[in-house]
Amino acid sequence: MFPAPLAFEWDNVTVACFLSSYLVALGFEAAQLLKQHSASHWLALGMAVAGLTAQSIYLIVRSRAAGMPPLLSSTHDWLLVLAWLIVLLYVFVELLDRRVALGLFVMPIVLILVGLSRFVSADPNPNLVRLRGLGMFHASVLVLGMVGVLTSFLMSVMYLLQHRRLKTRRGETEGLRLLSLAKLSRINWWGIVLAVPLLTLGMATGVWLSYLSASTDSPVGLLRWQFVVSGIVWLTMGALFLWLLTGRAHSGRIVAWRTMCACGFLLVTLLLLQLASGGVHGTG
Amino acid sequence: MNVQVVTCNHHTADLTVREQLAFPSEEVLLRAYAALRARFPASEHVLVSTCNRIELYTAQEESVSAPTQLDVARFLSEFHNVPLDAFFNDLLERTGADAVRHLFEVAASVDSMVLGESQIVSQVKEAYDLARRGNANGPLTNALFQRALAVSARVRAETRLSEGRVSIASVAVGDFGRSIFEHFRDKCVLVIGAGEMAEETLRYLQGEGIGRIVVCNRSRERGEKLALAFQGEFRPWEQLDMQLADADVIVSTTGASEPIVSAERFRFARAKTGEKPVFILDLGAPRDFASDVASLDDGVFLYNIDDLEATCERNRKARAAEVERAERIIEDETARFLQELHHKATGPIIQRLRAHWHDISRDELEQLFRKLPDLAPEQRAAIERSIERIVNKLLHPPLETLRAESKEGTPHGLLDAIRRLFHLGE
Repeated sequence: MFPAPLAFEWDNVTVACFLSSYLVALGFEAAQLLKQHSASHWLALGMAVAGLTAQSIYLIVRSRAAGMPPLLSSTHDWLLVLAWLIVLLYVFVELLDRRVALGLFVMPIVLILVGLSRFVSADPNPNLVRLRGLGMFHASVLVLGMVGVLTSFLMSVMYLLQHRRLKTRRGETEGLRLLSLAKLSRINWWGIVLAVPLLTLGMATGVWLSYLSASTDSPVGLLRWQFVVSGIVWLTMGALFLWLLTGRAHSGRIVAWRTMCACGFLLVTLLLLQLASGGVHGTG
Repeated sequence: MNVQVVTCNHHTADLTVREQLAFPSEEVLLRAYAALRARFPASEHVLVSTCNRIELYTAQEESVSAPTQLDVARFLSEFHNVPLDAFFNDLLERTGADAVRHLFEVAASVDSMVLGESQIVSQVKEAYDLARRGNANGPLTNALFQRALAVSARVRAETRLSEGRVSIASVAVGDFGRSIFEHFRDKCVLVIGAGEMAEETLRYLQGEGIGRIVVCNRSRERGEKLALAFQGEFRPWEQLDMQLADADVIVSTTGASEPIVSAERFRFARAKTGEKPVFILDLGAPRDFASDVASLDDGVFLYNIDDLEATCERNRKARAAEVERAERIIEDETARFLQELHHKATGPIIQRLRAHWHDISRDELEQLFRKLPDLAPEQRAAIERSIERIVNKLLHPPLETLRAESKEGTPHGLLDAIRRLFHLGE
């Protein structure tokens, strides 16, 4: 008689699993500020990969249970997909250049997104269920646009820190190596240039979805306050986009400041909106 | 022997002080040597003036004629027309073994801001050569500086101090330049000045793959020579403003006695380029760029020698083990040098003692051979060898004692005793 093989219960993976993994990863990243050691780096990366795996399992389990892709399942899942993409980007960059202290900037955002996901609706959006194809496209472009916004936000914060260090002529802090101003500026620019069209597309498909929902049992009106606030935020990003495209001679620091403010405003507003309404689409 | 050094270096003083006391050209240094000879005629002098240090080494036979720290400070004050209280507290004096050790540390680049940099060796050598040309050196400083260069070579051969980032340019570009630009392939570097520092910086930047090199120098001949050596272009001094505007990286290493680029001049030069990032490395002492150039706009990143201090300190900590090995070599060489020098002072007495005893033995042998005329030549030779051995064996204990005593300094008491005991005269 052989003992029965140990069965891994995928359902046992909870938000707390990957939240704590990311928290430990952040701890290891922070430890490098005190004493730079390659072990800390690899442990941080290992914890991030462990968290990413757990989060993937969690999203797959939820997606199967709801019978829908994670992006359509609920606002809760949408936020987790956003966090998942950010962690994936972080792991990719860290594998390319392990000297960059990206985790210190990325992990707090990831922790906020994952933490916030616990306070928003975990129920599938009924309208998106009915208009599955367009709904999937709407959610995808919005999440990718948000990745661009988050990237630009992080790059502009790093740019301002790097610029300040260089202007005040301070040497590099151990464990806080940042990218060059030129690279930060380039990534920041591309982040905005890609994010704004994606967000615009997301807004446009949102309006189209609203129009289509008029003929369904639960129509979603465009004059709901969540949509109005989202529109205002989108206009802010659009203004930043036009400013960036029309004046390439702006100083890098000014670009970084405006990007940080605009993206920060967008992130805070949208996240608070999610929190206040239980999801942008809300319940009414 | 009495050796002293009065130093004002990157450990003791800011660049603002050092640039006031610097001797930026050969002409100024030769004038300084003339003034020093007139002021301290009993001393030998060597002045080491680099961007990180201004040091005056003096040596003389008698301690009474040695210039004090205050004497040297007064000389610097009068020569540079700088009030004494503006820098006196930034001076440091070392004497005797400490002074010798200090020079060995300087030459071996253990005392340098950029640990292990090679340029200091040639700077020390040039300082010594110039002292010779200025008739300011002498036997003591000759021995001291020649040994310093030998110690430097030994430290480089026996430690790994010269590995890694070992030039000011490498530290500046590594810590600041690479944080501004992704790479240098499409960048234009403007080098103002054509001295050794400019050459070393260009050598490093060329290794970084810099796109275009422009050399701007007052002396056309030197500028063209440098530009040619690095496949760069030479631009006459009159075109400096135009080049300032075009450059992405500016390295300035002139020996000018005051800033050559003011904020106003640089603002005018940048008017057509906007706030594009420009990395300025001002390696001049005195500085070539006015300090307010740094605050012109967001794109100007200006660094001088002192701004690299923190990075260099980190570099030093990372190589603490090599520094320790270098210091052990320096300690050993200092002791050996001083012993040899002190022992050299006992030379005349030893020679007289040896000559005196050999004279006695020769007289006695002649008397003996007169009494024994039938001795065969081989018998005479055997007796001569025996007497020679006896004299050498008798001389051995006092000579060893003198050698041992020389470790602590010239054994004046012992020398006096030998002189009196054996009637060797003054």
